[in-house]
Amino acid sequence: MNIGHLGRWSRLLRFAALALAILFVLGPLYWVAITSIKPSNDYLAVPPVWFPSQPTLIHYWAALFAYRGLDGLINSVIVSVLATLLSALLGTPMAYSLARFNTGGQHLSFWVLSQRFLPPIAVVLPIFLIYRSTGLYDTHAGLIIAYTVFTLPVTIWMMFAYFRQMPRSLEEAALVDGCTRWESFIRVAVPLALPGVVAASVFAFIACWTEFFFALVLTSRHAFTLPTVFRAFLGFQGSQYGESSALSMVSLLPSIALGILVQKHLVRGLTLGAVRG
Amino acid sequence: MTEASTAEHPAGRGAGLAPPTAYALWCDRNFKWLLVAPAVALIAALSIYPLLFSIWISFVNYDFSVPGHDFVGLKNFRQVVADPVARWSVVVTAMLTALDVTFEFLLGLGLALIMVQSFRWRGLIMSILIIPLFISPVIVGQVWALLLQRPFGPTDYLLSQLLGFDVTISWLTSPPWNFIALVLADVWQWTPFMFVILLAGLTAIPPHLYEAAELDGVGNWSTFRYITLPYIGPMITLAIAFRLLDAIKLFDTIFMMTGGGPGTSTYTSSYYLYQVGFQQFHLGQATAGSWLFLILTAIIIMGLVRRLLRAEAKP
Amino acid sequence: MADVKIRALHKWYGAVHAVRGMDLDLKDGEFNVLVGPSGCGKSTLLRMIAGLETIESGTIEVGGQVVNGMRPRDRDVAMVFQDYALYPHMTVARNIGFGLVARKLPRAEIEARVARAAGMLGIGGLLERYPRQLSGGQRQRVAIGRAIVRNPRIFLFDEPLSNLDAQLRDEMRGEIKRLHQEIGTTMIYVTHDQIEAMTLADRIVLMRDGIIEQQGGPLDLFERPKSQFVAGFLGSPQMNFVPAKLTLQDGNVALDIGDGILFALPQKLIPRNTQAQGPDVILGMRSEHLRRSPAAAVAEGNVRYPVTIELVQPTGSRTYITFSLNKHPVVAEVAAHDVQRAGERIEVDFDLNRAVLIDPHTGLVLA
Repeated sequence: MNIGHLGRWSRLLRFAALALAILFVLGPLYWVAITSIKPSNDYLAVPPVWFPSQPTLIHYWAALFAYRGLDGLINSVIVSVLATLLSALLGTPMAYSLARFNTGGQHLSFWVLSQRFLPPIAVVLPIFLIYRSTGLYDTHAGLIIAYTVFTLPVTIWMMFAYFRQMPRSLEEAALVDGCTRWESFIRVAVPLALPGVVAASVFAFIACWTEFFFALVLTSRHAFTLPTVFRAFLGFQGSQYGESSALSMVSLLPSIALGILVQKHLVRGLTLGAVRG
Repeated sequence: MTEASTAEHPAGRGAGLAPPTAYALWCDRNFKWLLVAPAVALIAALSIYPLLFSIWISFVNYDFSVPGHDFVGLKNFRQVVADPVARWSVVVTAMLTALDVTFEFLLGLGLALIMVQSFRWRGLIMSILIIPLFISPVIVGQVWALLLQRPFGPTDYLLSQLLGFDVTISWLTSPPWNFIALVLADVWQWTPFMFVILLAGLTAIPPHLYEAAELDGVGNWSTFRYITLPYIGPMITLAIAFRLLDAIKLFDTIFMMTGGGPGTSTYTSSYYLYQVGFQQFHLGQATAGSWLFLILTAIIIMGLVRRLLRAEAKP
Repeated sequence: MADVKIRALHKWYGAVHAVRGMDLDLKDGEFNVLVGPSGCGKSTLLRMIAGLETIESGTIEVGGQVVNGMRPRDRDVAMVFQDYALYPHMTVARNIGFGLVARKLPRAEIEARVARAAGMLGIGGLLERYPRQLSGGQRQRVAIGRAIVRNPRIFLFDEPLSNLDAQLRDEMRGEIKRLHQEIGTTMIYVTHDQIEAMTLADRIVLMRDGIIEQQGGPLDLFERPKSQFVAGFLGSPQMNFVPAKLTLQDGNVALDIGDGILFALPQKLIPRNTQAQGPDVILGMRSEHLRRSPAAAVAEGNVRYPVTIELVQPTGSRTYITFSLNKHPVVAEVAAHDVQRAGERIEVDFDLNRAVLIDPHTGLVLA
């Protein structure tokens, strides 16, 4: 958009606006980062300490061990990785079927897509009861299954858009050459769609990694994930700022890193493929 | 070569391949269904079945403190509708959602307009601006609680320095500041959502439209109003609808920042239902309430999903 | 090597009736070209033979075997696609050999056959490259190689030359014809280009709107079209069509083109029951039959008429001139230097022995 010719004032304004935006984004993150390495006395200081003179990693230690943050971390990794894998394994074939054969027409697509928007509270109540009676409550398996279902619509929809823009002739050539439909899918379509699968998987992973509500309700002392550990910090008694900040850093660094890696596909992921970034 | 070919192909044999088994042919014919079956089965198991189950629960007495599952008709629904906390939570949800989405849209649009033009550090700035999207909402709540709490958070201190007088706002515990705090946290996290989508829309506008306008002598505001806005109109609708549907589920930040308080004044509907269902264990009531909530959101969902399907239907 | 028999074939896409009750016999070993304008159903027909589209009604037999419901891999056909459809993540050698790997042939034999096919097509040196490193023409050869190497009983081509530029197209056309001469397998070739159809085919099947308009040898269709559509489709530049009325002139049947222009009709062109079908006709003449003759006498069946040239379009070997008959534009072919510029008045010989008369109501050529 050509607004460059407005001249100095607009350029200055733009610069100022961007500077403010960056400050707004990075400011809070900076605060969390340094709080996580401040020695305990520093957080009670007024005026606030902007950079600790004696940074320490003690809070990371406490967060991971005294508050069982490490267990939460490990559970998060297990659950997120497996749910992502399952989501990709189940979602990619379904996306292919929808893209190539328009399986189930409008109705199936509508149903799958609308899952994305279901308020979690509506499903989590009955699932909680079901899990308790089937022994899935507070297990990795239980959460993995729930997360798979929760990420499937996005995976399916992203891959659907991806498959649609791949020309069919390659798969058809494979069929004529001697492949069964399954072989043509696995040996030709999937390898070509791999970038899409990776991007969709990263988004699925981030969704699982950052999810709180389901984990809160469906897990307890055994399969709890990293976000749920923050429950322990409710109530700001002043002595836990370091630990909660440390744990925050542990959680947000990987997901931010991953997110930036796939930012090329971001728009597609956010809008379920309706918009090409 | 011609001799070889007649020898290799007695009439009608698919040369080199064993004749297909009935199983293979069946798989081929039903291929498209076989591919969707596992995913559909899983989603049905964890979505349709629980929802049906919850319909039953909402008409029954289901409470950890009261034994038995007798049919109670509409009692659960009536209890929810009569509960002033429930009604206030709808107000809170609506208010927060409206404020959140409005600010996110305006700020997102502003940022998008600024970032449309290519400039030197654009890539890096993009990467920075999208960071909040990948953070767990609980952590976002945690971070803002840390920033805003008194007396050790930096916010009041900074404000005091900037404005020249002592600012002693209890951001997390006194209205209206606690509402502002919640909006602030949500805006911080989700403005990039709007920004990214609107930016994609703006970049898709063909530059020659602007060039023609410039040649015709159209001013900047008119250009924006008559060219830019209509072009990104559908994108705006999409982004707002998406964000709306996510915003009404507001839970994580409430949980971490205000705990619904003071009292029950910052209960959103999801938080309310969580309290009723998992703290008080009046599961029948909570389920009934969540169905009411679901129906309210279903209308918006249908509209949005229909639009998304139409967008993808274009080849 | 196999023949193809199609009986009562129908295909619907939703409400669109793409193939309407088609009956067709394609003989073993022939080069058959399915040609027609976009949407005529030729690609659909090809894909149904391949097994890429389902057959809802009717049958297709290949080599005496009904293939309805058979998977593509079981039909022993090979196909060359318009966009080449080469697997980008495999080398040329693996692309060509892909179908053989699927049939679990021993590695040594695969390599031998791949080398032989590559040799036939002149791409032996490209075997280790990837498709993205090849030019359009090379890619098409690889696609053809992939088809040859399987020794199928039928070759299918779906507009294989449409993505190539004009010069390359001419070259590849010759190669495909040479290929057929060499290996003799039944070939079914789809194109919208009438030049490809004419130059390659043993048999042309001209289609429109899901039905066969006419089929036969190229010269057959060219010289004896059955309808205006066929007459206008084959041949470049397109046949000239001028509306006229049958009338009597001195007791003989003549054509009144209007504006005082009267052409005497040769005997064989006069339709049998002139009364029954009314006076309106369309006169069809090919540009090459409208010439400037050096002879003083007008040949038998020809009409000489003075015209004013409106457009001159030289192509190098000949020149096309446009003039009007009763305001209808007509293109004639003359030698390169025969005319200089627009505005010239010359005399053109219309060879009506080679013309056709068309019934404007049915579009059919009057016998």
